[in-house]
Amino acid sequence: MTELHSYAPHETWHDAVSLDAKAWPRRVEHHHTLVPTTCFNCEAACGLVCHVNHATGRIDRVEGNPLHPASRGRNCAKGPATLNQIDDHERILHPLRRAGERGGGQWERVSWAEALDDIGGRVRAAIAEGRHDEVMYHVGRPGEDGYAERVLQCWGVDGHNSHTNICSSNARIGYQSWMGHDRPSADFANAEVIFLISSHLEAGHYFNPHAQRIIEAQGQGATVICVDPRLSNTGAKADFWLPAWPGTEPFLLLAIARLLLESGAWERDFVRRWTNWETYLRQRHPQRPVAFESVGPALLEDYAAYTPEEAERVCGVPSAQITEVARTIGAHPTKFASHNWRAAGAGNLGGWQTARCLFFLNVLTGSVGTVGGTTGNGWNKYKAPHPPGAPPVQQWNELNWPPEYPLAYHEMSILLPHFLREGRGRLEVYFSRVYNPVWTNPDGFSWLEALKDPDKVGCHVALTPTWSETAVFADYVLPMGVGAERHDVASFETHAGRWIGFRQPVLRRFAEIRGEAVGHATRTHEFNPGEVWEENEFWIELSWRIDPDGALGIRRWFESPVHPGTPMSVDDYYSTMFEGVPGLAAAAAAAGQTPLEFMRDRGAYALDGDMYQPYEREVDPSGLTDCDLDAAGVFRRPGTPGAWSGAPEELAGLKLAGLGDGSPAVEVDGVPREGFPTPSRKLELYSQTLADWGWPEYATPAWIPSHVHWEDLDLSGDERILLPTFRIPTLIHTRSANSKWLSELSHRHPLWIHPSDAEALGIALNGLVRITTRIGHFVIGAWRTEGIRPGVVAASHHMGRWRLDAAAGGSWTGGDADITNDGTVWRLHRRGRPERHSSADPDTERIWWNDTGVHQNLTFCVQPDPISGMHCWHQRVRVGPAKPGDAYGDVVVDTSKAREAYREWLAMTRPAPGPGGLRRPLWYARPMKPAPTAYAL
Amino acid sequence: MRRHRAVVPQDRRSRGRNLTRLGFLLDSDSCIGCHACTVACKSEHEVPLGVNRTWVKYIETGAFPNVDRHFSVMRCNHCDNAPCITICPTGALFRAANGVVDFDDSNCIGCKGCMNACPYDAIYINPATNTANKCNFCNHRIDQGLEPSCVVVCPTHAIKVADLDDPDDETTKIIACGDTAVRAPQQQTLPKVYYRGAEAAALDPLRTAIAADGMIWADTTPQHPTAEATGHGVVARTTYTTAHQMTWKAKVSSYLVTKAVAAGVMAVASLLVLLGHGGSQAAVGVVPPLVAGFFLAVTGGLLVGDLKRPERFYYLITRPNRRSWLVKGAWVLGAFAAVCAAWFLAGVAGSSGALAALAVPAMLLAAATAGYTAFLFGQCEGRDLWQTPLLLPTLLAQAAAAGGATYAVADLVMEVPEPAVARWVMLGGIGACGLLVAAEAASRGTAHVEAAVAAMTRGRYARRFWAGGVVLGLALPAAAVAVALAAGTGPALPAVAGAAAIVGMWFYEDSFVRAGQSVPLS
Repeated sequence: MTELHSYAPHETWHDAVSLDAKAWPRRVEHHHTLVPTTCFNCEAACGLVCHVNHATGRIDRVEGNPLHPASRGRNCAKGPATLNQIDDHERILHPLRRAGERGGGQWERVSWAEALDDIGGRVRAAIAEGRHDEVMYHVGRPGEDGYAERVLQCWGVDGHNSHTNICSSNARIGYQSWMGHDRPSADFANAEVIFLISSHLEAGHYFNPHAQRIIEAQGQGATVICVDPRLSNTGAKADFWLPAWPGTEPFLLLAIARLLLESGAWERDFVRRWTNWETYLRQRHPQRPVAFESVGPALLEDYAAYTPEEAERVCGVPSAQITEVARTIGAHPTKFASHNWRAAGAGNLGGWQTARCLFFLNVLTGSVGTVGGTTGNGWNKYKAPHPPGAPPVQQWNELNWPPEYPLAYHEMSILLPHFLREGRGRLEVYFSRVYNPVWTNPDGFSWLEALKDPDKVGCHVALTPTWSETAVFADYVLPMGVGAERHDVASFETHAGRWIGFRQPVLRRFAEIRGEAVGHATRTHEFNPGEVWEENEFWIELSWRIDPDGALGIRRWFESPVHPGTPMSVDDYYSTMFEGVPGLAAAAAAAGQTPLEFMRDRGAYALDGDMYQPYEREVDPSGLTDCDLDAAGVFRRPGTPGAWSGAPEELAGLKLAGLGDGSPAVEVDGVPREGFPTPSRKLELYSQTLADWGWPEYATPAWIPSHVHWEDLDLSGDERILLPTFRIPTLIHTRSANSKWLSELSHRHPLWIHPSDAEALGIALNGLVRITTRIGHFVIGAWRTEGIRPGVVAASHHMGRWRLDAAAGGSWTGGDADITNDGTVWRLHRRGRPERHSSADPDTERIWWNDTGVHQNLTFCVQPDPISGMHCWHQRVRVGPAKPGDAYGDVVVDTSKAREAYREWLAMTRPAPGPGGLRRPLWYARPMKPAPTAYAL
Repeated sequence: MRRHRAVVPQDRRSRGRNLTRLGFLLDSDSCIGCHACTVACKSEHEVPLGVNRTWVKYIETGAFPNVDRHFSVMRCNHCDNAPCITICPTGALFRAANGVVDFDDSNCIGCKGCMNACPYDAIYINPATNTANKCNFCNHRIDQGLEPSCVVVCPTHAIKVADLDDPDDETTKIIACGDTAVRAPQQQTLPKVYYRGAEAAALDPLRTAIAADGMIWADTTPQHPTAEATGHGVVARTTYTTAHQMTWKAKVSSYLVTKAVAAGVMAVASLLVLLGHGGSQAAVGVVPPLVAGFFLAVTGGLLVGDLKRPERFYYLITRPNRRSWLVKGAWVLGAFAAVCAAWFLAGVAGSSGALAALAVPAMLLAAATAGYTAFLFGQCEGRDLWQTPLLLPTLLAQAAAAGGATYAVADLVMEVPEPAVARWVMLGGIGACGLLVAAEAASRGTAHVEAAVAAMTRGRYARRFWAGGVVLGLALPAAAVAVALAAGTGPALPAVAGAAAIVGMWFYEDSFVRAGQSVPLS
């Protein structure tokens, strides 16, 4: 270790000297101000520091923020590539309004005032006329914790829609059904066994912070196990790579659980104290005595079929390897860190059982909330308090929360075009925000049909820094800032610790540091390129247009607390927020700053406190005197869902908790303890909720055969399983295409195919392949690799971007394409490849690659899991050589077949109402939980 | 606007300046192949698209399910014995006080010699400046006490800086344990980039190949060399790497020929003087230096034209690195040009005495002109084919053949004394070339040499080599001249043979120049 620094010391950040790299060895000095912000590429929101050049006022470089507790100054490729996104010569700089027909590519420049007036007027009319459900905000990457929800709540609109059911609904319900928290927070750094059904060394929530800690632990001797049918980079680094058949992962996990139980390598006392084993025994084994001694034999009986030999047959993983993995896990009690977020969870019907069965191993090894274990995200994520807002909305928007999916973990966003088509509702104003459903969602042509129809979507407002396949079909395209041009606060459960990160408009902060007047009336767009706004100020401004005179009771939530009668400024907003963060005010005072100044200078703050095993915390009995102790030892507080009798008339009086049913404690061995935010306050080996809401057969960890289960396929013929979802380390969905450095690194996504499959299917080396799905087909190039299970083919979901018009940006990876249709049959045909051309960026003359990939998702029908609502991404496909007339990149889809598939999957549901005549369990988390009366169906 | 004073604590700066022998430890055990280093470097140095100072190579080994993917970071090795510094004619590449191989854009003439000298594919021409760039260890940051940008960004601390002169340096201690490897140790460049946990095949570009269906998520540029053509001990598949295109092409092949003609014609003229034909004013005194002068001018034009910064060609003289054979070659060419000029003056003056005095120096400088390239190519440590000891005699034999051939052509239009001399010289030159080329094609050397020879004689340059170099350049002219000598024919047949020999020589040179660069180095 030399004594070199990684970063300029913090005390020099307002004037750091560096030498010009290009002039070197001549010593040309530059002076920079280093302004911290956070990355807005993936969800991890790693710390960044922008180097603003004093002479030019421009951002020269984007490096890591050493003060950020999660990323610790380090970044993946996407962090420094933020500079490309700032400098993107094709970004949208002014508000645009559609001039011709939707999707016709004709736009006119419009002032922000005109746009705000029109949109505000439409929202106002919808609210005033009781058409609240016609206002929808559809978010891809939120990048913040709760700002938009507060806005919608203040409008009284249940219009929050997200991308979650193409992402993580399955994992969430798997985790939540155990511990109430819907996300895992693994303490990788201190683990001795790391079990990943994910590719955290290259992607996922949260790639860079997790990869740092996984590799750190592995260097200290931890065993890394990775389950993935294809050799991800993570699989390559793992000590055990287990390429199980897609959808059989829960089977594999249950086989491991059975081995732990059989060998006695499980933490009996932890299971006794912290699971609802009594309920399990009563419901599943009524013939056995309700005594803990019954639990082991009962579980072994339940999982008797899950032998290593049977697991080898079903999963395709050698039994000896399974046994060795189980032995390794069993040898490291309490130090088992595991993670599943998408991968198998997102791919399969019943994929939610992947997380449920994986966390079963945490429970059996007592690795819940321990040092080196896995805890609930709610304990390692700190959600900073927003300024006061309106009470919960009275609405229930069935376009997002249809009765067929009472347990859907998030909005049924993939079904929106089908719901609109069925006439379940219409949208007057649809905001798409950092979201590209036409490209990202399955069944994109159904989206295109819906978005083109003004009867279904009255006004589509795309809030985006760049063009996308969806923005093309908008009525307004409103340019919003990238990571260095906006305010957001977020916190993520990256490790054992809690923190908040602050994204800020770098040049605005630079001006402030340089002594320019940045006051109450100052707006971020004054410092951003062109007329690029930040969304925070947009929502405040729009809320004022919706309710200019305050008559709707909306405006008051967006007024400055400091300067009454004027719009709230971002300084007002975040000052309030930061003053409410425990410890922050004191830390700021110690630095002689306000909390806001402190955050502007550092970009992140780590909260104090040990969050290990928080469920063990004792609860002061004096605070429980108003509660009733139920037979299971749970303290039930009157007026909360936990104490609700089920009588409809009492519903209105309930106070809903964000998470859990409001019960404050559970008695364990005679001591009231905090427990878990589940109805039993314990880890739910048996989920009464799943049983009560129609799915008793899945109330315990179970394997649900996937819709792509290999035994159902004609593998001797041309059927194969397509994995279309995997990520690569350099890209992030459709957002990173405007980075030339990332595009140069990765711009093709050939179909991974095992050589034996290629031979069997007659696919030539480097040959074109036609992949036929339920609703259409696409044509892609083959890439033979040993790194994939025979029987499975895969192509990353990155790449395959297209543009109908070269004016719509996308120089680096946008393939020019034509779309034609004949009735319900749609065709996308690629016209070209990225061409060298001259532009403001000389690098456009140097584009050397030819490929931009193939858009697969258009050919996937919606496949919502009947319980979680998760789109089950894996595809049962026919694979063969391209046919005469096929060209690389061709996509053909029949949306009438997409509708048939939608109806089939819809028929698998078991609709609401559930107990109490409700739409959804009151204790389930939900974005923007409405008033309890809205739950009544 | 407030004025700020620079605040750089003195101790910080001095930290970076006390280092004496910097190297990298690249820890493949920790590397996750994320390419963050690549992008951080692009950003730090504004590296244009298409070229890279550092990149991550992926290879795949084994068969399902026992398959693996390995990552290794590729970049300049900051060799203690750096061939790029040796060959650089203008000192643009230099050894910094901290042991780093650094460069100065303002000195670079864009000769690309360094790119062929480097056995690691580490140097590229920056299309924005047309100068040679590479990893310079972020020396502008080291100077300020800061780590290189790739080190800072790396999520898993897989890139570490070592001061190899400091035995207490933690990274140096790891390296000292000996559990590390370097790339191409046989080149004896004493690299200072050490790999821990790297798969051996990842560090040996001849053991991996790029398959026809390309790489995992990027296009392969068509010109990227791969070991597959030869299949020499390939044990793994390259699934990610970056482009490295050939740098010396037709202009260099042509230069070898024009230089051979200039040298050869003066050599034959000198021989004729020594044989007593100094009085033959036109064919010995005037035309040869004119022909040589013309071809020297073309040679110079080709050399300057091949520079990426041709307007800086004079730096060879004004900023010379005396160890570089590019500089020595310039001196040789200059001296030879001066002798040719003197010869011309003597020829015009009809002074056979002066010609006699110039004959031996001219002969020697002609040999130097023809042969110095062997030493220049010898400095191209990245091109093992060019290191052959047969190159010097081959170049001399080619000059003889070219000189004889030129005279044979001249015999068509002017009175040449003793035409048989030129014919015998051509036949001798061609014969010697034939033997030398045969020896070269049959040679067994390093895997690199064998791969290059295979590319030349059996691979993508085989047609150039056989049809152009051997048949057109050697076999046909040799046969024709032999017939002419035996039958005592007129000048037509030898002239055609001479023209064929020169054209064929170009094809041979081109196959040799390109095959030498066809072997992957990374």
